[in-house]
Amino acid sequence: MDKQIRIALAGNPNSGKTTLFNKLTGSNQFVGNWPGVTVEKKEGKLIVDKEVVLTDLPGIYSLSPYTLEEVVARNYLIEEKPDAILNIVDATNLERNLYLTTQLTELGIPTVIALNMMDLVKKAGDTINIKELSRQLGCPIVEISALKGQGVEEAARAAIAAAKTGKTVPQHSFSGPVEHALAHIEEVTVHNLPEEQQRWYAIKMFERDEKVLEQLKVPADVRAHIEKDIVAAEKELDDDAESIITNERYIYIAQLLKGIYKKKGKGQLSTSDKIDKIVTNRILALPIFVVVMWLVYALSMGAPIGDGGIAIGTFLTDWANDVLGGAWLTDGSRAILESWNVAPWLVGLISDGILAGVGAVLGFVPQMLVLFLMLCILEDCGYMARIAFIMDRIFRRFGLSGKSFIPMLVGTGCGIPGVMASRTIENERDRRMTVMTTTFIPCGAKMPIIGLIAGALFGGSTWVATSAYFIGIAAIVISGIMLKKTKMFAGDPAPFVMELPAYHVPSWGNVLRGTWERGWSFIKRAGTVIVLSSIVIWFLSGFGTVNGRFGMVDELYEDETVVTDEYVTVVADRMGISEDEVEPMDDSILARVAQPVSVIFKPLGFGDWKPTVATVTGLVAKEEVVATFGVLYNFQGEEAAAIDEETGEVLLDEDGNPIMEEEELEENGDQIWENVESDFNAFSGGHGRLAAYSFMIFNLLCAPCFAAIGAIRREMNSRKWTWFAIGYQCGFAYVTALIVWQLGRLFVGGVNVIGLIVALVLLAALCYQLFKPYKEATTLTVK
Amino acid sequence: MIPLVLAEPGEENIILRVGGSPETKKHLEDLGFVAGGSVTVLNTIAGNLIVNVKESRVAISREMAGKIMV
Repeated sequence: MDKQIRIALAGNPNSGKTTLFNKLTGSNQFVGNWPGVTVEKKEGKLIVDKEVVLTDLPGIYSLSPYTLEEVVARNYLIEEKPDAILNIVDATNLERNLYLTTQLTELGIPTVIALNMMDLVKKAGDTINIKELSRQLGCPIVEISALKGQGVEEAARAAIAAAKTGKTVPQHSFSGPVEHALAHIEEVTVHNLPEEQQRWYAIKMFERDEKVLEQLKVPADVRAHIEKDIVAAEKELDDDAESIITNERYIYIAQLLKGIYKKKGKGQLSTSDKIDKIVTNRILALPIFVVVMWLVYALSMGAPIGDGGIAIGTFLTDWANDVLGGAWLTDGSRAILESWNVAPWLVGLISDGILAGVGAVLGFVPQMLVLFLMLCILEDCGYMARIAFIMDRIFRRFGLSGKSFIPMLVGTGCGIPGVMASRTIENERDRRMTVMTTTFIPCGAKMPIIGLIAGALFGGSTWVATSAYFIGIAAIVISGIMLKKTKMFAGDPAPFVMELPAYHVPSWGNVLRGTWERGWSFIKRAGTVIVLSSIVIWFLSGFGTVNGRFGMVDELYEDETVVTDEYVTVVADRMGISEDEVEPMDDSILARVAQPVSVIFKPLGFGDWKPTVATVTGLVAKEEVVATFGVLYNFQGEEAAAIDEETGEVLLDEDGNPIMEEEELEENGDQIWENVESDFNAFSGGHGRLAAYSFMIFNLLCAPCFAAIGAIRREMNSRKWTWFAIGYQCGFAYVTALIVWQLGRLFVGGVNVIGLIVALVLLAALCYQLFKPYKEATTLTVK
Repeated sequence: MIPLVLAEPGEENIILRVGGSPETKKHLEDLGFVAGGSVTVLNTIAGNLIVNVKESRVAISREMAGKIMV
């Protein structure tokens, strides 16, 4: 064959295009029961004929130039001119689907209709006279069931045949005045274009389609000339040109279907409607939604099985963290590497740096997979689209769409999949805003920070944790309201219009495919960003210059000729600690850099190098904040006799002496609470609680961990926007913590006048941005 | 002529006019909201509607539904 045949797959959103594409090409694209899953076009080779390339276009309702999907699809069809169009039509929704068909047939490209979901039509007892429909539309029709794979090969063969020999001529015509104008337009502007394309261009020009007028570079005088024809038609038919065309298409389709489509039960509620009557009922909607979400949360991230809960996810993740991550990856690799006589620094790098870091993130994978599985089921059965609908009115108040809810919910477990879940939001403005605010919600890894602060300074008070969630939610609401009034986010709010897919039993293949696709994305992220950042932090905290010699600080400190008594005094002075508190880490690059940097946090009340280092290591993973405190606040695992977990007896070695083992730092770091408390009190001038609270706020709201930043980068798909998001988060965190610290001192004493003025100014600016009048746009604008 | 927001749920209505900016109007029309066509409100929740138009179920916010006159 000389020339490769190219076939484009076009159809309405959620009409089964991607399912058909997968069946025809054997590829594994994720299919969502949620309109708008395909935004870019995808290509694949047909199984039946490897010479044929099939392009999956985004789902569209028409070929107008208003949405991104429509522009992508129509540019492809006009500019690339595929050899044939395989138009997938949802038989349960013929009128709306054929509306697109009437436009596709005008393009002058041979078109074959794949009539999908005929099984459902037959089940409902309705009949469609396919032969007659095919004759009237002027293109071949093949009955298929994309889901079951019935008839898909025939459809492909029909499309190939059409590409080779076929020709599709549009069978419909418009009313007299329109046809009259169209004839004029064809005559004066498009007569030099290929004949089969003339009609489409003429119609678009009649609709005053800016993109087409631009593309054809129609001179102003010609434009003025055809404008007269258009206005004449508009006057005669008393409507604007675009609406005339749209209406006449629908009228044509309605007449076409009169004799062809026989409905059995008219006006009956479908099963989907009956479910919706309950699920989206004005009273029951929210309670049902809360129960469903509670189930999803309880199963994936709640208390684990065996601990009073039902969470399979937490159960598996605990296992992965303790056994797989802790024992096998870190300790196991260390044992193996040491037995190979690998250099100690390399053992440190691999075991403590890379594997510990990666292990910590991979530990989340089981939990994430369970969560993704549940969300995929909700999406596939059709409930997800309803959730967006139910939550829309609430979220709209602060500039977000109902579709932002799922990312935030997922974000309570982990920010990375939360950010990733924002992909289903089609509107760019809404998506960006969601990505920017999702990580304000305290994720699982921020819990230890809250635990530490609550335990060390607030006597374990539960209101600290409660307030952390409240702060997260408030940050989202405040940010949403402020951002929607900025130039970047204004002018683009998308009013909610969304087709609700019919409910159906989830298809397991599809659910598992979706779960795996998202899970794998998460794993890949962990594999790249985490490895890199783990190495960097390991190096920065492990290496440094000790008394003029550069190397691993731990090793250098063992050399008494390097670490002289005078030198220890110097270090103690520099760090502002007593001599016996001096540690190898105080000489690490990290500590040296952190010491001057900590000035930045002075206005927030924790301008000391230890909280600074903890904040920085928090960028690797938020759990690191507590781990870093453990190291910095002199936690030495006290030696204790090892105890057999089952019998409770003290384990003895061969000589009958008790085996000693190091106590491990608890997750919330309760062994170092006293140290933390006294240190926070010391550097904050006795206001340890306020300083610690400010520290917690900053760490909850500032830039998330590297892995989440990576996810933000990917979803924003722009360096500029990623930096903007990170900058905004850090700025917002800084301002909030500053206001809390400075205003807080009004109550606890020790007011700093300049600080107070700055805080009041910032607070006033926040309030101004929050309460300044704003007119909600109600138009749908798409770039 | 009343906006769709005020239509009685469960009753079939004929669309008389679709308003709004050209983009909004075109988008609504592409979804099946055309003058002369029929639309049935199935459900309302806090002003947002679920409607049956051309045999598909469309969720639509109060702002948009205000532009469809029946």
